[in-house]
Amino acid sequence: MFITQISVYLENCKGTLRTLTKTLAEAGIDMLALSIADTTNFGIVRIVVREADIDKAIVALRENGFIAKTNHVVCAAVPNKPAGLDGLLSIIEAANISIEYMYSLYYSMDNKALMVLRLSAEDMEKEQIAALLAKESVDLISQADINKL
Amino acid sequence: MKVTENKIYNPAAECMDRESIKKRQDALLKQTVEHVYNNVPLYRKRMDEAGVKPEDIRGTEDLHRLPFTNKTDLRDEFPYGLLAVPQEEIVRIQGSSGTTGKPIVSGYTQNDVDVWTEMVARSLVAAGAGKEDKIQVTYGYGLFTGGLGAHQGASAVGSMVIPMSSGNTQRQLMMMHDLGATMLCCTPSYAIFLGESLQEMGYNTKDFKLKSGCFGAEPWTEEMRDKLESLFDINAYNIYGLTEICGPGVAFECCAKDGMHINEDHVIAEIVDPKTGEPLPYGESGELVFTTITKTGMPMIRYRTHDICTLDATPCSCGRTLARMSRITGRTDDMLIIRGVNMFPSQIEEVLLKIPGVAPHYMLIVDRVNSTDRLEVQVELTEDMFSDTVSEIEKIQNAIREQIKSVVGVSANVKLVPPKSIPRSEGKAKRIIDNRGLTK
Repeated sequence: MFITQISVYLENCKGTLRTLTKTLAEAGIDMLALSIADTTNFGIVRIVVREADIDKAIVALRENGFIAKTNHVVCAAVPNKPAGLDGLLSIIEAANISIEYMYSLYYSMDNKALMVLRLSAEDMEKEQIAALLAKESVDLISQADINKL
Repeated sequence: MKVTENKIYNPAAECMDRESIKKRQDALLKQTVEHVYNNVPLYRKRMDEAGVKPEDIRGTEDLHRLPFTNKTDLRDEFPYGLLAVPQEEIVRIQGSSGTTGKPIVSGYTQNDVDVWTEMVARSLVAAGAGKEDKIQVTYGYGLFTGGLGAHQGASAVGSMVIPMSSGNTQRQLMMMHDLGATMLCCTPSYAIFLGESLQEMGYNTKDFKLKSGCFGAEPWTEEMRDKLESLFDINAYNIYGLTEICGPGVAFECCAKDGMHINEDHVIAEIVDPKTGEPLPYGESGELVFTTITKTGMPMIRYRTHDICTLDATPCSCGRTLARMSRITGRTDDMLIIRGVNMFPSQIEEVLLKIPGVAPHYMLIVDRVNSTDRLEVQVELTEDMFSDTVSEIEKIQNAIREQIKSVVGVSANVKLVPPKSIPRSEGKAKRIIDNRGLTK
């Protein structure tokens, strides 16, 4: 069970992020989550939107000269209280899964915080990782769930 | 500033009257042409095609009848195709960048090493060197001619050589200080970097014994000379050369600091129109072309340097009669010199084409930051290269950087830029932005 994330390459220079937000604003896209990874040379912006907005966002971004790509990531709901996230991470650690990056949605669901996770493991495909988490009773959220936010 | 004594290493050769220079050049040119015609298939083929026989060349006035030689010939005949003697006569190989991944190499007989050594010795003595001097050689040792060239020349003069090779600024300054080096040989930009680092490291200019320096392997300016002279309280001299001819020492500055004397008893210099190849009179700006007349291993006939300058045969106040060449004011091709290393944009292109997913749209931006050349290679990012993780993108950046370092020999900062952000142009694309202001 996955959600779709849009990743965009940003040059590390003044004004590029604004160009991106302006592009999405003009296309009428509502962002449900946004995270920026920055390095000295470049940045990667990761965005989650409702399913109906994905293609619209990609088209608008590419038309404005951005490199944008979609990929599938895990979204998990964790109790919105102390140790809520730690519980999820202890399961991930025990399963010998690495977290490439993680960020949260601006919304919660049934008083649970929604975390986006990019996971990897040496000997497991993405699908196997998701199945393993589901077996460990991790509350995985689908794109259909996200669309209702 | 300390005064450099006007010393001449080989007055008989360096102060020969112009008429005798011409006579010597005529005789040696005839010999060289006959030598290459009989021993190097490429030269024979080119001369046959041009309808010139060795006996048609009676002297320098017939030089223009001979076909040119280009860097591409050294690449095509790599490694031994241009040797004019059996391989066992060759005692040394030196090399430099080619226009592609492969370097170009030059083979030297013992005679050629000796001739080259003599030329560097003349250059060092013109810069004030003597037996009592301690010469720190900070050019790289290896295939690059800078290190070994300066080393041999300094040894011939009888000076004490400090063979530091390049890099490690802290150690360079420590040895220069502790051993009391009196002369420095390196690229002018690295010398400035050393000079600027000196104070940061807690030294004072007064603590050094340096009196002069021979700086070359890259073009530089009078402003850089002023800076070098004040940073170290020395006299800074220009030295010129290229591997294809021998290495550093082809031409050198004397105490007059008014152009570089060309060792005309060993090479013939011409200035030609870069477009038509027609010889131009002294004083006119054009492409510098050299013919070697004493080299035996791999003689060069009318080798096009692609360097732009002027020639001047009027008498010099130092007493030398050897004609002088001006500073290099530009290039007729797109060669760049980064921290003393020659490179061509085509080498970068070749690197990029070999990395999967990378498009060959690139731009080279050269700056000088803290007296050090900084090369940025901008490469257009493609969707194939892009990934949602930083590590994947950095992997590609590192692969490009490592390939450039290994093929070109220069460390570059690789910057991935958005697609279509590098300007496309009709015909020859503009690939270089050089902000160093070294050429006019």
